[in-house]
Amino acid sequence: MTDITMDAFNESYILFTLAGTTYALPSRDIAHMEMVEHITAVPNAPSYVEGVVFSRGQVVPVVNLRVRFGFERASPDLRARLLVVKVGERVVGMVVDSAREFATIPASAIQPPHTAIAGLSGDYLEGVAVLGERIVLLLRVNDIIPGTVPTGA
Amino acid sequence: MPSEGRSDSLEFFAGFIDDYFAESDEHLSSIRHALLDLDASLGQPDMASPAIEELFRSVHSLKGLSGMVELRPAEQLTHEMESYLRGLQQREVALTRSGIEALIDGINTFEQIIAARRAERPTPDITAPLARIAALVTAVRSERRDIEGAVVGTGPGSTPATADADFRGRTWKFTFEPSAALVARGVKVDTIRARLAQLGRILSVSPKITSGGGIAFEFLVATEADEEKLATFGEDGVTFEVLHPAVAADADAAREAHVASSEAHVTLLETASVAAPTHFVRVDLARLDELMRLVADLVVTRARLDDQLSRVERSLPATDARALQEHAATMDRHLRDLREGIMRVRLVRVGEIFRRMPFAVRDLARDTNKRVRVELRGEATEIDKFLVERMMDPILHLVRNAVSHGIESPEDRIAVGKPPDATILLKASTAGESVVLEVIDDGAGIDTGKVMERARAAGFPVPEGTVDAGTLLGLICAPGFSTRQETDRASGRGVGMAVVRKTVQELGGTLALESNPGRGTAFKMSLPLTLAITDALIATVDRDTFAIPQGSVREVIEIDPASIRRVENNELITHRGAALPLLRLGRLFGVTESSRPRLHAFVVGTGLAAVGIVVDRIVGQREIVVKTITDSLIKVDGVSGATELGNGRVVLILDAVALAASARVDGRRHGDAGGARAATA
Repeated sequence: MTDITMDAFNESYILFTLAGTTYALPSRDIAHMEMVEHITAVPNAPSYVEGVVFSRGQVVPVVNLRVRFGFERASPDLRARLLVVKVGERVVGMVVDSAREFATIPASAIQPPHTAIAGLSGDYLEGVAVLGERIVLLLRVNDIIPGTVPTGA
Repeated sequence: MPSEGRSDSLEFFAGFIDDYFAESDEHLSSIRHALLDLDASLGQPDMASPAIEELFRSVHSLKGLSGMVELRPAEQLTHEMESYLRGLQQREVALTRSGIEALIDGINTFEQIIAARRAERPTPDITAPLARIAALVTAVRSERRDIEGAVVGTGPGSTPATADADFRGRTWKFTFEPSAALVARGVKVDTIRARLAQLGRILSVSPKITSGGGIAFEFLVATEADEEKLATFGEDGVTFEVLHPAVAADADAAREAHVASSEAHVTLLETASVAAPTHFVRVDLARLDELMRLVADLVVTRARLDDQLSRVERSLPATDARALQEHAATMDRHLRDLREGIMRVRLVRVGEIFRRMPFAVRDLARDTNKRVRVELRGEATEIDKFLVERMMDPILHLVRNAVSHGIESPEDRIAVGKPPDATILLKASTAGESVVLEVIDDGAGIDTGKVMERARAAGFPVPEGTVDAGTLLGLICAPGFSTRQETDRASGRGVGMAVVRKTVQELGGTLALESNPGRGTAFKMSLPLTLAITDALIATVDRDTFAIPQGSVREVIEIDPASIRRVENNELITHRGAALPLLRLGRLFGVTESSRPRLHAFVVGTGLAAVGIVVDRIVGQREIVVKTITDSLIKVDGVSGATELGNGRVVLILDAVALAASARVDGRRHGDAGGARAATA
């Protein structure tokens, strides 16, 4: 990360994979990344909530993005990562299959989401970028993290 | 004053305004105290002066402070109050009930101004309270003119009460030394004061420190009663001596004595207020929280160390292992001391909440034509600052509820042989690791029939036959439940019983109810003294570990699975001669259940609200650091927080009371709502 670009149109992203698809989130939304260790299940929480962990001394809920996006639940392996994102005041963890790359994506490479792209993640899509041979789906973090309590209090 | 940059001065001002809020709070607290004293001394002008002095000084300070931060309405208001108080102080005007009420009104408005400023809302209208106090001040001025006109040559110090001219008695000095034995017999300063007041005119009262370090009260009383009549006071810890037998000299001397004693009083107070700041440090609560957090981290690190220690213990020579164990134990002790030390710093007196209550009920009592006396006990009980802030509204609600619902009209009270004045007792005490706050009234008690009728009408599941206090409490605390026919002032704040219970539970406490038809209602709130660290029992279900705060567990029992009986959809065992419903934690949380030869259960709740929470194994008891769960994704019923036991994993802290409550709902509704949720996990 020595090459910090001040160009507002070129934003830095973290790329991660879920069920074979590559997604990207702006790095400014991501507080840090961790290996996935023990996650304590929280009974009666929504199904896409994997549980809760301590991250830097804080109690952080963990969302299973596979479940959130409607893929099959898979138990995290060594490649799995916990992306800890900041959404306003909230800090939430997201389990992804793997996350290994940073990429600077020029604004010119981003297209609005294609109407023909179907799938649950469609609701959270900011746009689609083509990086060389790969197609990357750009996500909006605010929309991924639900703000309301689904289990009526 | 910094004048270089705008941001500098803003910052400076921001720091200053925080100080202003803090100082205003302190003055308001002493003003409330003094107003209560003043109210109690109504009709006894000589008793009022210390309270008036106190009020005058605090209001004067508030005026100065408000001027400094340019809060004009607050300054205006306190200015008028000060003028009236000066009139009272110089005895140019007599203290009246409407005067006290105007002062209370003024102080309430002042508080609203401060609150508005804090929340950056527009300042409330001060016209009415201001006019009310201003009218009193005008009265002072006209009275002053009258006195000046009529009594030429007499100083303003002379009291209007000169009916003493034909007074043929003597002035006595009575000294009363309260003791526990006397209090047990019902002999208190107030009773002595009342008896002396019947005897003659009380000229002054002043507290004294006795040679033994105790407290005594000196009353100067002008009375015609003879020694024989006074002898009865001897039995009640009162000694007396005659001061001045001669009448003419007496009045003056008594007045002098009174002036001297009130001066002495003022000096004492002034010395105290000058000396006080050097002994106190005002600390931002956030800084204490930070310290508490650091201690909590230490506790976790210590647990990890213990963990590691027990693992390597066997591979170490015995002497080394023992030395390490000893150091660990010492560190443990120091850590506990450190934690308690910080906790003590956070403690404030519960009187801070209690003393607001008499004001809070005044208007309501008047509007509902009820006569209520608020009695405070255990004001010096210390409670965490955070708890004080959170408990203010619930206690206010309970007190106002007592006035609007519990207490009968004076006529009704007389009809059933009760004194017309109802009493609301606010009581605070400590019991082990908890603080117990009670709101007790001597009203009619809760009308169980009416509550049941209302609950049925609102569609709540209501058991047949008699209900116990726990069920009754559950009903009145149910969201959406209210026996009120129409909205009244008490409900204006939107704090219902549901919120009272929720707040208490969120703070890790319990709420209990005792209602005696015709005799009154008592709400008892037990709250943990410490919030961040608590003792808990650690239990496992399958491979999951849970913690239950020890304060909520009444008993731990072992269960032979063969003794469990099924009754409809419930599992019960007989325990202590009664049926105890069981709640399987595993089933509730959707965890795989294992079949074990013996099960364990925590008994929570009492009487008919008791439930046994069944787990596989109870691993032990330990000190845990409570981390609150704030994110809505993981805020679920039955879980009050999270902790870790040294291995970095999250262990959920169970809210036993909420679990027991959900068990009741599940049992009665045959597990529809709660059960369905559990199944989705």
